[in-house]
Amino acid sequence: MSSNHSVSGEEARRHKVEGPQKHIVAFILSLALTIIAFAAVAAGDINTTFTYIILVLMAIIQVFVQLAFWMHMKDRGHLFPIICIVAGVFVVFMMVIMAVYWLWW
Amino acid sequence: MATQAAHASHAHAHAHTVKRYKGLMDWLTTVDHKKIGILYLLAGFIFFIVGGLEAILIRIQLMKPMNDFVAADTFNELITMHGTTMIFLAAMPMLFALMNAVVPLQIGARDVAFPFLNALGFWTFFFGGVLLNISWFVGEVPDAGWTSYVPLAGPTFNGTHGVDYYVIGLQIAGIGTLLGGINFMATIINMRAPGMSFMRMPMFTWAIFVTSILIVFAFPALTVGLVALMFDRLFQANFFETGSGGNTVLWEHVFWIFGHPEVYILILPAFGVISEVVSTFSRKRLFGYSSMVFALVLIAFLGFMVWAHHMFTTGLGPVANALFSIATMLIAVPTGVKIFNWLFTLWGGSIKFTTASLFAIGFIPTFVLGGVTGVMLASAPADYQYHDTYFVVAHFHYVIVGGLILGIFAGLHYWWPKMFGRMLNEGLGKLTFWTFFIGFHLTFFVQHFLGLLGMPRRVWTYLPNQGFDTMNLISSIGAFLMGIGTIVFVINVIVTWAKPRNAEADAWEDGRSLEWSIPSPPPEYNFKQLPLVRGSDAWWKEKREGKTEMTPAEPLGPIHMPSPSILPFIMSVGLFVAGFGFMYHIYWLAGLGILITFACMFLRSVFDDHGFHIDPEEEVHA
Repeated sequence: MSSNHSVSGEEARRHKVEGPQKHIVAFILSLALTIIAFAAVAAGDINTTFTYIILVLMAIIQVFVQLAFWMHMKDRGHLFPIICIVAGVFVVFMMVIMAVYWLWW
Repeated sequence: MATQAAHASHAHAHAHTVKRYKGLMDWLTTVDHKKIGILYLLAGFIFFIVGGLEAILIRIQLMKPMNDFVAADTFNELITMHGTTMIFLAAMPMLFALMNAVVPLQIGARDVAFPFLNALGFWTFFFGGVLLNISWFVGEVPDAGWTSYVPLAGPTFNGTHGVDYYVIGLQIAGIGTLLGGINFMATIINMRAPGMSFMRMPMFTWAIFVTSILIVFAFPALTVGLVALMFDRLFQANFFETGSGGNTVLWEHVFWIFGHPEVYILILPAFGVISEVVSTFSRKRLFGYSSMVFALVLIAFLGFMVWAHHMFTTGLGPVANALFSIATMLIAVPTGVKIFNWLFTLWGGSIKFTTASLFAIGFIPTFVLGGVTGVMLASAPADYQYHDTYFVVAHFHYVIVGGLILGIFAGLHYWWPKMFGRMLNEGLGKLTFWTFFIGFHLTFFVQHFLGLLGMPRRVWTYLPNQGFDTMNLISSIGAFLMGIGTIVFVINVIVTWAKPRNAEADAWEDGRSLEWSIPSPPPEYNFKQLPLVRGSDAWWKEKREGKTEMTPAEPLGPIHMPSPSILPFIMSVGLFVAGFGFMYHIYWLAGLGILITFACMFLRSVFDDHGFHIDPEEEVHA
């Protein structure tokens, strides 16, 4: 509650001046990544390893762009969400790797 | 102080004119964390009695060799329901009761972050628990153990609806727990009073914070496992059906990925309670505060990478077993840090032996015993001997009953005046402690030796003259004594209820944290003005400087309160109805239940609820 109201003057100014520019950059970046992914599929055979790599790579970058800009992870005061996301990814990966290794390798 | 109390009671009286509901409807619609705490306590304690009766029946059956007090299949149902009820429907709700009653007060907040979710969490837990226990009346009771291992719990070997009740009941109750975890995480991060940094939070709040994180990360694993089992059982899927390419060991992994963090979800809040009680009644600050916090976080972190120690005999191979052995033994280090910190807190303190303090002091050696057998079990080669014997039963009852339940009793006796405005009777309280404590050790200490002699767990009966007879009799006598202890506690509550509501704000006179700076029980809005926290043990610090109340951090003004709502109750009824629909393949009923729940969600989303205001200056705006 209180944190919502205690936005300092400096922070408020930064939001006004820098906000839109960052968002336009992020928007163009998101679009570009999507277009690259579509282009890679449209350009040729979908079943090449190269296409797979491009798609996965674009997806990973896209996730980070979305988290950083649209989910505001780059801003201050987002340490807890970041810690929790990292911890969640860690837990899930550990479990999936363990399960696959033990059960189906 | 007197004027403050007068103000509070006036505002309280006026608040009732704003309230839309009274009596039973008030309890069904409440979103007040203090009332939800009482509801959790009531429901949790009723389930505790149910689980306790199941335990007594188990012990009567095992009292003598070749007994036929209950049939073998009933015995399986009893042990399954005893474990499931005690963990999910008794222990966790009673922890949630303490969390709800205390955490917002300790951090100087007026409510939790999401009061509506809090109510929803309670009602989903409640209806999940009711659904699970309806199985007794239907006559098809879960009987595959509280771990519900497949293939025993799968449709091939368990054709009745018994395990369906387990799956659906726990799924619905699990929603409540998950909501509670999210809620308390958000509350503790966002709603601390001005000046209360993380390292100034009381240790109970820290414990609940770490517990909430564990809930948020661990419970989804249970949800996924239960969904998979539900699909196997109800819709002929084959996640765990080996005949169709499924894998039974997968259930063990999923269950224990959830299950091991779950046991820390149970014990960490007890650690928090013990820290508060030991420090208050030693009249000293907690020894090694920062190491206590570090130990909590470390236990939580390690708790996620030890689940396979429940599966040493599954055949994971020597490398995996060795790694999980070491990881498990590592947990003894932070736990030991906590034990020594409690001892150092007691050392040199001027200790008051109240009931709460007795339970806390009894907890320490008892929990050490459970911890030592834990390290013994962590040794994979030795575990092949202990596995599935009464040694394991003794171990986990030492940590859960000797740890968690003693912690809950300590917390209940300690915070009872804050929750209800009445002091529990100390004489009866001490009688509760001694009967329960002696009964507990009588029941479970001998079970270590029963296990070492080779008595397997989960057996219906045993042959005479194997060396099991006397110790089983002792164990059963101990169980009755624990039952008597619980009855004395109930008598204590009833006797105290007849007395006037006259507990002091600082009921124990040595309160250290913020909850003791406000009246017992607190007014609906907790704090007339949010307090300014100037150090750890905030209230103690003010008292040491001769102040009689906290320094306010804001001017007096209207206090914004959330409005009560019946939606959480109806939403949970919807899930309850849908559960039966799915279980018995009556799909229109399932659809109806889901529709009820979604309709409530729709209403909640579409109609804005702005709450109402209470003015401590005796003006009320609706």
